[in-house]
Amino acid sequence: MSLSVTRGLDMAVAGSWQPPRPCEDYRAEWELCRSARHILHHYYVHGEQPDCRQWLRDLASCREWEESRSPEAQRSLCESEQTRVQAAQKHSLVWTLRQRPPADWNLPLPQERDK
Amino acid sequence: MAAAPDGGGPGPAAGEPLLQRRDSGQGSPEPPAHGKPQQGFLSSLFTRDRSCPLMLLKTLETNPYVKLLLDAMKHSGCTVNKGRHFSCEDCEGNVSGGFDASTSQIVLCQNNIRDQAHMSRVVTHELIHAFDHCRAHVHWFTDVRHLACSEIRAASLSGDCSLVNEIFRLHFGLKQHHQTCVRDRAVLSILAVRNISREEAQKAVDDVFESCFNDREPFGRIPHTKIYAQYAHRDFQNRHRYYSNI
Repeated sequence: MSLSVTRGLDMAVAGSWQPPRPCEDYRAEWELCRSARHILHHYYVHGEQPDCRQWLRDLASCREWEESRSPEAQRSLCESEQTRVQAAQKHSLVWTLRQRPPADWNLPLPQERDK
Repeated sequence: MAAAPDGGGPGPAAGEPLLQRRDSGQGSPEPPAHGKPQQGFLSSLFTRDRSCPLMLLKTLETNPYVKLLLDAMKHSGCTVNKGRHFSCEDCEGNVSGGFDASTSQIVLCQNNIRDQAHMSRVVTHELIHAFDHCRAHVHWFTDVRHLACSEIRAASLSGDCSLVNEIFRLHFGLKQHHQTCVRDRAVLSILAVRNISREEAQKAVDDVFESCFNDREPFGRIPHTKIYAQYAHRDFQNRHRYYSNI
């Protein structure tokens, strides 16, 4: 079991864990995913139909957790969202991320400095 | 400077010349020389192109793509100030706008921005460059792969390559055509500001495409329409709860 899942279970025991998203967000994502418009957009980008089943599973888990505080529902949600995060981060970045914003972001424009 | 080619509505097709500020000569990334002065935000209110500031204001206040980008940039330490970070100017050619990393300023080509929807798309495109500049060490002037990466992201995430915009450009394609559009427009944007061959620009795009096309920050997804952008903004505002509970 992953560290974050065990931490999540600790939070559940302490009463502080909640689903990463409100259940209505899972419903909204599922409905958007299966809409004709999204099927078209997805095909336009990826050349295939979208797979919306995970949103429906997550919606079911979210509702189950709200009704019964099911540890299995919590585990399922955490694993699903971790999979989404890992999928989004699997490509290494071309550039190095900053630790601080650019120092000159708010400096006066050159023509204003010269006045 | 990273540039936004025009197109994506009735009018010029993709491939037309790209951003050159009137006093910079070559569309180079160096700060513009003193020539025709930039129009300040207030002075442009009283010119024939005074709709640029008004359209910009409406975009900043109402467009969900832009509101998310502004929020994300504020979170990264780059609060956007309308008067400081935007400039409505007349530009040569058919270019719509550009981001000048040397001055941290977005140029909006008021003589080429057709309407409110176009303004919103240009602002979104340029804010993506500004967002990249804010969150990463982007070697705009010394590494064409970095420039290519930001142009790929801007073309993909701003709506530049939406199905509707491509149809308006008379580019008819459906299956995975979005990616073709993103590659092509990224190459065009690079060629506008770099004196390199099309082959070199294409190679840079190809080298970084997989990584940069899949970098969907700050949206987390490709925002095909305003609904997607609204959902993305909702998720951004929810991020503390999200990362605390996974």
